[in-house]
Amino acid sequence: MANIIDVPKTRINCSMLSQHINRPVCFVGRVEKVHPTGKTFTLSDGEGKTATVELNEPLEEELSGVVEVVGMVSNKGVIMASFYNMLREDKGNLFDIQLYNEALKLIHDFPQHYPFEGAASG
Amino acid sequence: MAVRLTEGAVEALMKGTPLSNTVLQLLNTKKIGNEMTRIRVIMSDGVHSSASFLLASHLNHLFDGNQLEPYCVCLVKKVSISTLKDGRPVISIVDIEVLKSADEVEDKIGNPVSYNSNGLSSSQEGADSSTPPLKSEVELGNTFSPKSNKTSPQKHLSSTPPSTSSEHRKFNFKSNNKTPSPQKPFPSGSSTSTGRPGPYSRESTPSPSKGRGRGFTGKSPMKSADASPGSATKVIPISALNPYQTKWTIRARVTNKSKERTWSNSKGEGKLFSFEIVDESGEIKITAFNNEVDKFFSLVEPGKVYYISKATLKVANKQFNTLKHEYEMTLHTHSSIVPCDDGDGVPDVHCDFVPISELEQREKDTILDVIGVCKSAEDVSRITTKSSREVSKRAINLMDSSGKVVTATLWGEEAEKFDGSGNPVVAIKGARLSDFGGRSLSALFSSTILVNPDIPEAFRLRVWFDGEGHAVDSQSLTEARSVGSGARMNWKTLSDVKTEHMGHGEKADYFSCVATLVYIRKENCLYRACPSSNCNKKVLDQHNGLWRCEKCDRDYPDFQYRLLLSANLADFGDNQWVTCFQETAEVLLGHSAQRLGQLRDTDEEAFNEVFQKASFKTHIFKNRVKLETYNDETRVKVTVLEVLPVDYIEYSRRLIRNIHKMSPQLDLSEEQG
Repeated sequence: MANIIDVPKTRINCSMLSQHINRPVCFVGRVEKVHPTGKTFTLSDGEGKTATVELNEPLEEELSGVVEVVGMVSNKGVIMASFYNMLREDKGNLFDIQLYNEALKLIHDFPQHYPFEGAASG
Repeated sequence: MAVRLTEGAVEALMKGTPLSNTVLQLLNTKKIGNEMTRIRVIMSDGVHSSASFLLASHLNHLFDGNQLEPYCVCLVKKVSISTLKDGRPVISIVDIEVLKSADEVEDKIGNPVSYNSNGLSSSQEGADSSTPPLKSEVELGNTFSPKSNKTSPQKHLSSTPPSTSSEHRKFNFKSNNKTPSPQKPFPSGSSTSTGRPGPYSRESTPSPSKGRGRGFTGKSPMKSADASPGSATKVIPISALNPYQTKWTIRARVTNKSKERTWSNSKGEGKLFSFEIVDESGEIKITAFNNEVDKFFSLVEPGKVYYISKATLKVANKQFNTLKHEYEMTLHTHSSIVPCDDGDGVPDVHCDFVPISELEQREKDTILDVIGVCKSAEDVSRITTKSSREVSKRAINLMDSSGKVVTATLWGEEAEKFDGSGNPVVAIKGARLSDFGGRSLSALFSSTILVNPDIPEAFRLRVWFDGEGHAVDSQSLTEARSVGSGARMNWKTLSDVKTEHMGHGEKADYFSCVATLVYIRKENCLYRACPSSNCNKKVLDQHNGLWRCEKCDRDYPDFQYRLLLSANLADFGDNQWVTCFQETAEVLLGHSAQRLGQLRDTDEEAFNEVFQKASFKTHIFKNRVKLETYNDETRVKVTVLEVLPVDYIEYSRRLIRNIHKMSPQLDLSEEQG
């Protein structure tokens, strides 16, 4: 999974999960519930739908707010995370997830203008 | 060719029900009228056919363009039914669309029998159905009264009161044979008139006298339906009002009434007032001028229901009329407004509320309706307008169940009497959306402000607010610190400066852009300036500890460091050299000129670091661009007037909006390859 960093990852939301099975994706969502084991949690996207994320190791910190997860989509539609990124909202930067969703839809509506499989130089 | 006709439609229409969107087959057409062409059509629903259909004159082009050939199947989208004095209907087709052309259909669908308006169906000729029914229909139809026509488009369309039958006489069907009784079954093929055009010839004397012009009724239809509503005419919905129908009555509630206003222009002067009415089907604006103002101003009260009939309909002037109705009404001498006691069922107000969260997606300057709980209201303040008028204004904050808040500005009396205590539910109908401070609303002269209105939406909000709403952390669409002081931001990209030849005109051009600072000239960014306030002239070193200012014509013991920055901005398309004066330079560098002057003289490394840090930062730049000549060289000079941080959410929204706006063009260019 180490080379997932070098590979172009499509940004998706929940409705696009099924089309990206076994592909590397980048999912941004708001933390809903964290499993007590800390190895899995759910995120809600800009449309209000929920996706499940699974980690290799349990979480070592408190997860809250908006998180960006990079990983592969499993057959069951679960995101197997390679790494994640918490967006700090405390500095007054409010992340507008609905706006993000709007932009996401546009990216997918116009693939000719937003190519994902771009020159993936090593 | 299987296409389903709306069976039963002809019967329903003939009985007076103004059905919309019926699928009917056109059996035949006939051009009638001499000076004013009208097209009469025989329509069938497969069960019945009728020649009581008339094409509204604005659709004549369909006939002229041969689109209405016999047997074509049409979608009769909208009709307007009026009744002759003898009770027979005239169905005026106001909107029609050909679904299948005559070539595609080829044949008559079903076996329609001619529907007689008194319910009797009579048999028709068999095979060759075109000619004979038309002739017999001719006899039925020749009692047409011209009331459905106001469309002498040559002159009288606007506000001439239709009671002057000068219009009506243009539209006169008088039969040469005596009025046959409608009871008579259609004699097959026997037409007592010589040929077809006969019955529709105009009456010889187009005299303006009210009675004669009508033909058979002997009375002006205007006189028939008197002030007593419901006697001859039945109530029609507001949505069915159109200029092609003169005999109607509506029952509606007044929602909005303006004050009496006078005007005086080159064409003359007078007074007017207007009001808006609503019923279950929609709303429409009514205006009264001069005499009618005196007659109706005190009678019309907002909130009350009235029967209104006899007024002029014309196309709505969207400049002053923000309602959705295609037409608007003007009262005239014969207009009748009678209070109605039974206002049940007539809604109080017709609003299409836009959720506050959606306001960001809407274009500025659109007129819309909003409803929300007044979370807070400022005190009323008085301001003086450009025209030196003093007016009261009050800003109130409205929040709805989306949790978003928007600031609405009330003016004048509304502002003064508004009471925000108790967090009332406020509905504003016809407010203007502005991009002041992001998104905000302004009540217009024509807006209606309703406090705690009696509508379900208001109750829903009340329940929500009392329950959880009052504790919600709201997000305001209207920033307290408005970006750009409310001025319209003219957003451009740097390449636009060259492609649009900005600054080449006589006056300077102003624009805003999002750009990144890619280079800042460190050398000569500071100069020594005159210390007196407001004089920024460079001072000359007298070498005796004094500094001379030419402008003030004085020597000073010290100076002030001031910034004059030359920088290069870039975006995805282009780059641009700009000049930043003191204020904007300080914002970009993050330090005062004084401090920078100090650093330059003392700590060069720290001085350089300031410039390092400032580079490659993105900001919103508000600029002024002008062509200037200096020593024989003419160049476009850009000066930065203001530097603002990029509000990414606002920027993102703007980009998304622009993409949406451009997307139809994008789709097209894709199709073309």
